[in-house]
Amino acid sequence: MSSSAVIEVKDVGMTYKTRDGRSHTALEGCNFDVAPGEFVSVVGQSGSGKSTLLRIISGLINNTSGEVLLKGKNVAHSLRELAMVFQAPVLLPWRNNLDNVLLPMEFRKAVTPQVRAYAKELLEIAGLGDQATKYSYELSGGMQQRVAICRALVSRPDILLMDEPFGALDAMTRDTMNFELQRIWHETRQSVLFVTHSIPEAIWLADRVIVVGDRPGRIVADIKIDIPRLRTREHRFSEDFTAYERQIEALIGTPGAIS
Amino acid sequence: MKQPTVIEDLEVTPVAKPGSPSVAPHHKPRRLSASSILLSPAAKAVTGLALMLAIWESIVRIFDMPRYLLVGPLEAFAELAERPMFYLEHSWITIQEALAGFALGAALGIICGAILFYIPFIRHFLYPTLIAIDTIPKVALAPLFIVWFGFGFESKAFVSMAIAFFPLVINTFDGLSSVPSELRELAKINKASRFMQMTKIEFIYALPNLFTGMKISISMAVGGAVVGEFIAGSSGLGHVVLLANSQVNLASMFAAFMVLASISLLLFLFIDRLGKKLLPWRDAGK
Ligand SMILES: Nc1ncnc2c1ncn2[C@@H]1O[C@H](COP(=O)(O)OP(=O)(O)O)[C@@H](O)[C@H]1O
Ligand SMILES: [Mg+2]
Repeated sequence: MSSSAVIEVKDVGMTYKTRDGRSHTALEGCNFDVAPGEFVSVVGQSGSGKSTLLRIISGLINNTSGEVLLKGKNVAHSLRELAMVFQAPVLLPWRNNLDNVLLPMEFRKAVTPQVRAYAKELLEIAGLGDQATKYSYELSGGMQQRVAICRALVSRPDILLMDEPFGALDAMTRDTMNFELQRIWHETRQSVLFVTHSIPEAIWLADRVIVVGDRPGRIVADIKIDIPRLRTREHRFSEDFTAYERQIEALIGTPGAIS
Repeated sequence: MKQPTVIEDLEVTPVAKPGSPSVAPHHKPRRLSASSILLSPAAKAVTGLALMLAIWESIVRIFDMPRYLLVGPLEAFAELAERPMFYLEHSWITIQEALAGFALGAALGIICGAILFYIPFIRHFLYPTLIAIDTIPKVALAPLFIVWFGFGFESKAFVSMAIAFFPLVINTFDGLSSVPSELRELAKINKASRFMQMTKIEFIYALPNLFTGMKISISMAVGGAVVGEFIAGSSGLGHVVLLANSQVNLASMFAAFMVLASISLLLFLFIDRLGKKLLPWRDAGK
């Protein structure tokens, strides 16, 4: 496909060796790419291999077949300019929020006054400007996850990988976070690969939704979402939205799912 | 004419507003007990201690216990007041042995725990053996240490060390293991060096467990020093206990027990407070 893609996943497969010596194919023949600045959701049932896909792209584990190119280079050899947001915020409780955001830059030995300023700016964008010197235990779960998103963005990654980042939050906070994430993304324009098992969340956030089927995990559809930005609550209940929802539900095979 | 009776103890149940949950919360005024208003936790602990001492003293008096079987706390206090320097000098010796043993045991324990965690090869070969060695009563090692290190300060410090060592091996290992895998992945994605991952995340993450281990170790270290003094030695509180035993001086024996308990408690509280001061995030964060 286009050579300007930030992520190219080419025929990627993953077969785990389990402890008892058997092998388990978690992913098979996956193909897709992500363009610069694009927001792509990955939706599928639990256990369908979504986390495996993200961990392969991040270079944390190695795929057993196919190849992943990041900005045209093989993952193993590229300077992986990417960042990851996990389901749990995993902030360091002994650091205040600003210092938590700066952690990746400390790892890279690259904390400069400009970086500090950018970290503060990110907290501002995330609506946490006045929380910079607070500690994570003083924040709600949703605020903590926003700090974790700032931490991921501070290195200005080409690609932001998010693995069910709002999965542990209650429904209302989750809605708010979706609005926040759309706003943050609209300002920073990173490429995002966003894993979720919530179909509405996947549609509402994304330019494209990649549907993963299971046993073994494979890509069953790659659907372009034609709903204008910035999206509002109204879009959630529009006819187009509902049509996408029905289409994906049918593909995944979870009729009757509520959220 | 008959007066309408006034029901005084009428319980007023709040009427549920339309749309509110049908079960209205029923608030009873909470009875505030004197103890919960007046006493801080420390004051409660002291009260409990005083009560126990009082019961002890009463038993001795009511049953008119012979002095070679049991003496009351008052007599033990009197003994302490009579020879304060004697107890201070011997306490100081025991404290030095215990602190030296604790410092050495804790340092070695932390290093061993970290090595076991970071080097799987060594862990697989040595962890089971270490746990087996831990089941040996350290008291049983005391005679051996005397053979090796003589009758002086060193042998007692080493008994103390042997006892203080294991809680820190295990707690260091557990602390390092408790680091969430996401944090290691975060470090890896950001190309953090092994050293940075240790110093910025893992070591700090393990600190609360380290303090838990030290709290266990410190009072055990005092016990270790006393055991060393039992077996060989002419000084320290262990020696005082043996001496009192040979003289059938129970007042002195109980005085030594009281001093020992106080030393352990103070050292424990010191580490506990230090942990709270250095790691204010511990209870809120983890
Ligand atoms: N390290 C591993 N070893 C063996 N099997 C694994 C491992 N990680 C994941 N799996 C298996 O791969 C499949 C996909 O897992 P995962 O990628 O976590 O799915 P998802 O994130 O979609 O829930 C599951 O069946 C899981 O049991
Ligand atoms: Mg997953």
